[in-house]
Amino acid sequence: MKAYSMAGGIDAWNGFTASGPPEMGMLVFAGTESPEELIALSWALEEGSRRFYAAVAGTLQDKEAGAFFEKLVLAEESHKKTVVQLYGEITGNESSLALSERGDLQDIMEGGVRVSEALEWAQGKEAADILQYAMSLEINAYDLYLKMVKRFEEEPPATIFETLAKEEEVHLNRMAELLGTRT
Amino acid sequence: MGLRDFFKPVPTWSADQVREFLKGQNPAEFNLVDVREPSEYEKEHLPGARHIPLAQLARRIRELDREKPTIAY
Repeated sequence: MKAYSMAGGIDAWNGFTASGPPEMGMLVFAGTESPEELIALSWALEEGSRRFYAAVAGTLQDKEAGAFFEKLVLAEESHKKTVVQLYGEITGNESSLALSERGDLQDIMEGGVRVSEALEWAQGKEAADILQYAMSLEINAYDLYLKMVKRFEEEPPATIFETLAKEEEVHLNRMAELLGTRT
Repeated sequence: MGLRDFFKPVPTWSADQVREFLKGQNPAEFNLVDVREPSEYEKEHLPGARHIPLAQLARRIRELDREKPTIAY
């Protein structure tokens, strides 16, 4: 086994970091979750985030940030379609209805946060606050999708989750840019 | 991994080297392992890192694909 130790540990890391326990968001990978369950979870997280971004986009005075969140709404919508397609390939039922009907996945978004609580928190907040908060959510989605890639490895969902992870990384970099000009 | 592997010095990469390595790599093609305590992992970890505390590493080493490079921190 080729093994390397990172000098300085996480303190030396100058990049995005995620937070939360290993099982965060998905009771992760205890090995019992089926691909369908994990894909349903991804759909729910994307839908929750879409709802959150759609709600905050319309309330911000900061037009540039508002426009960015509008783009994220479209991105999350696109992610949902990708996930539905994947769900269809695996289950033979390409219907988002089957995903949205799952009661245990209602009202959650990326980061495992409740959409209703996030929206309550966001009331009256500045763009910088919301960008910072959204970054923490997207980082955890990025973390989750990277773990999904490892979970599925050679199976078809791995490629999809790799694409989603890369897109979350792009969002993160753009958020960091926007935040950098506001703090 | 055999017993002798425990006595081999582990090469060190800087954080920049790790970042360069991770960039563009398929996440399924390497093992990224956080060997710190659970509370430390929970507070902050590299995206995609698997958590195997150091005290459990010898016992759980088979969870890692030995054919793939492993980065630990």
